[in-house]
Amino acid sequence: MNEFDQARQTFFDESRDMLREIEDALLVLESGGGDAETLNGLFRAAHTIKGSAGLFGYEDVVAFTHEVETVLDRLRAGELAFGEELAGLMLACADHVSSLLAELESGNTGETADRDRGTGLVTRLRSLYATPEATTRAASPAVEASSDAPASGPCRWRIDVRFGADVFRNGMDPLSFIRYLGTRGELVRVVTRLFDVPPADRFDAETCHLALDILVHTTASREELEKVFDFVRDDCTLVLTRVTEGAPSVETTGTGAVPTEGGTEPVVAPEVVNVAMTRQKEQRAEEARFIRVQADKLDELISLVGELVIAGAGATLVARQIRHMGMLEATQSISDLVEEIRNSALQLRMVQIGDTFARFRRVVRDVSHDLGKEIELEIRGADTELDKSVVEKIADPLMHLVRNAMDHGIETGDERAAAGKPRAGHLRLNAYHDSGSIVIEVQDDGRGLDRARILRKAVERGIVPENTELPEDEVFGLIFMPGFSTAETVTNLSGRGVGMDVVKRNIESLRGTVHVASTPGAGTKMAIRLPLTLAIIDGFLVTVGRSSYVIPLDMVVECIELPADIPAHAQHFNLRGEVLPFLRMRDVFQVEDSVAGHESVVVVRNGTSRAGLVVDRLLGELQAVIKPLGRIFRDLQGIGGSTILGSGEVALILDVPALIARATRNSTLAGPATAGIPRSPGRLLTEIPSSLERE
Amino acid sequence: MAKTIMVVDDSASLRQMVGIALRGAGYDVIEGSDGRDALGKLDGRKVHLIVSDVNMPNMDGIAFVKAVKAHPGYKFTPVVMLTTENQEARMLEGRNAGAKAWIVKPFKPPELLDAVSRLVLP
Amino acid sequence: MERVPYVVAGEFTIYQVAEQKAPLLAMAADADEPELDLGGVTEFDAAGMQLVLVAEQLARDAGKSLRLVAASPAVAEAFRVAGLDDRLPREVSA
Repeated sequence: MNEFDQARQTFFDESRDMLREIEDALLVLESGGGDAETLNGLFRAAHTIKGSAGLFGYEDVVAFTHEVETVLDRLRAGELAFGEELAGLMLACADHVSSLLAELESGNTGETADRDRGTGLVTRLRSLYATPEATTRAASPAVEASSDAPASGPCRWRIDVRFGADVFRNGMDPLSFIRYLGTRGELVRVVTRLFDVPPADRFDAETCHLALDILVHTTASREELEKVFDFVRDDCTLVLTRVTEGAPSVETTGTGAVPTEGGTEPVVAPEVVNVAMTRQKEQRAEEARFIRVQADKLDELISLVGELVIAGAGATLVARQIRHMGMLEATQSISDLVEEIRNSALQLRMVQIGDTFARFRRVVRDVSHDLGKEIELEIRGADTELDKSVVEKIADPLMHLVRNAMDHGIETGDERAAAGKPRAGHLRLNAYHDSGSIVIEVQDDGRGLDRARILRKAVERGIVPENTELPEDEVFGLIFMPGFSTAETVTNLSGRGVGMDVVKRNIESLRGTVHVASTPGAGTKMAIRLPLTLAIIDGFLVTVGRSSYVIPLDMVVECIELPADIPAHAQHFNLRGEVLPFLRMRDVFQVEDSVAGHESVVVVRNGTSRAGLVVDRLLGELQAVIKPLGRIFRDLQGIGGSTILGSGEVALILDVPALIARATRNSTLAGPATAGIPRSPGRLLTEIPSSLERE
Repeated sequence: MAKTIMVVDDSASLRQMVGIALRGAGYDVIEGSDGRDALGKLDGRKVHLIVSDVNMPNMDGIAFVKAVKAHPGYKFTPVVMLTTENQEARMLEGRNAGAKAWIVKPFKPPELLDAVSRLVLP
Repeated sequence: MERVPYVVAGEFTIYQVAEQKAPLLAMAADADEPELDLGGVTEFDAAGMQLVLVAEQLARDAGKSLRLVAASPAVAEAFRVAGLDDRLPREVSA
């Protein structure tokens, strides 16, 4: 990337940040909050986008943000009042800028739909700063009228300039103006002289007493020559004379009176120096200490650290095989360091979920308007951190859950009032860390899920057989079944034609789970549980047959020996007084050869569910760098990924939540007669046998 | 010896772009992300010209110009304000504070170079 | 009497003129044959030039002439730009 492309990229990143600030500020203002600094920040963000866009030559963006800025100006001057309608318009404008920028970034410009939308928005903006006079003034900014006919060829100009007293103090160097004129034409003659110099004892060396008499041969027009002295215009007397073939013409203009100490400058409002800097400003200072790093550079670093972990494991293995104590110690300290590096590297990619949450302010605002419901959004745990790669992928499922809650969960104001609830619905986004996972909750205080209705519908759709009886959370789980969402519930808002099954699948693809809790009349809570990172896991290595498998360590509760008295077809056993469903991994993976020695049980948990996994041997802990599974294995149930061991051998990573679900189902639903292992991957939840006798 | 220009703006992309233009023209460039940051960088090195935005967080352009004009080592350094056409009151404040030159945003690199070279050639 | 030119070295700009004013003007007024050595000046601007011109005028008023005996490239460039090449010492004025 050359430096220009880099600057361009900075512009797009920066503009996105600015648009987010604009959106936040608008939402704060709309809710009646905010102060002068909020408005100022809003203005500054729009101003930044416009200024930089101009520098890069993105004229469409400049023209449009100019219109927005004009309205913001009126707002700041108190000529316009901030209301819901204006907020809506401004948000639409921010969206428009965002799509203009997206087009520029991707390189395909000139979508007509965008142009039409832009024109529509400009019309609405202009109607706000009403007077036709104002409109024309805004439309033609600062174009100075030209009085001289354009010079046909080069001619001679005589420039007489007397500089004002403060020219030096203002940092202006009269010599610079001469040098600059020299770049615009040929300097025929320059005379520099002193004027009005007082006697030596009263002479102030910092006060300017210089005058210039310049003869220049140039193609520049009168305006262009006058412009050279723009920066000292109020602080000099300037006389320009066109010299025609020897004789000076009468065409003489003078600008400026004899300079007096600030006498001609209009009175300005008292200068307001904002000494007390607001907290918001302090926060910006904090931000300034960060550096922006491209995400793929971090990904590469993490991937390299992953390789380092594997290579380190390989070295340890060799050291162990040759039983070299010094070597073992050395590899041990290396792997300690590698682990620290791994943690730091992963930490680099951790981002707070707050930004993702904040986006929902806008969504909640817009959707609640469209639905005619009052909905308050509460955000908690915004500083909870998780891996950037996870955060990117969770936004969509989260969006779906939020919309679903607003659409189907929260009732209308009237319904709520009738039920004795406050008219405004309450939606809460919450995030927190729990045993190596991040939990993200979407909670509403709406009508709650109707257990009977869900069950009825599941029967109608053929998802469960008639007369099925299921525990409550499994009934709620049915809403995530493919084919459960219907046109009746999938409105254009919450559904977009996509059902809750997709949400669940997306979450599961992140090695996450989703859990539903609901109380009729009081609301629903959807809790998504996700790993903090997708790159590396701490695992527990086991073998089944000749293959190695990795169980995510944070899900391992304990390891015990398989009790010898367990019948071959049992689906659960008694663990210290508790019923523990279990799965024989030999059956799951269809391993035929006989077991050598005692089998072990790894007790795993996911949230509140537990199960035992029966394996051949326990090999201990390791760090596993997760490699995605090839397409062929994508549908393999019970496998979440693969990793390469230090020995070069491939180990599969077990998908514990799926296995627990399977074990639980076998144990609670399958009668002794149907004690086989379900062999149809991909349809675990749907495998509800017709016979529902319990063991 | 190349002349040094300090560019103060809270927009990183603007600083980068302006930096490319000025360095290309033969100037040395120092960047400041806002008034406070820029003031911290006026630490004795020679600066021939300052180009500063008006509206910035932490310390805006007006306060920054006042601070520059009060700094014995930099009080005579010319300051070019980056303004917009609808900021006349702010521009006057800036001029009263001592920033007599200005460039109207949005501007293109040649306009910037033109304004800058009227005050300092590289 | 030995002639010792008045020497200004380093920066000679608006930042230095206030402190340079008194000794430079005194030299121009008092010396029989005032001479100025600007050979070591690294930066020079119109304020510095103005002070030199004022000193020159002061000497002229006293019936003397201030002679520039050395000019650094920065000083020579500035005098040329200002159309004051004739003030430069012969060896740099070419």
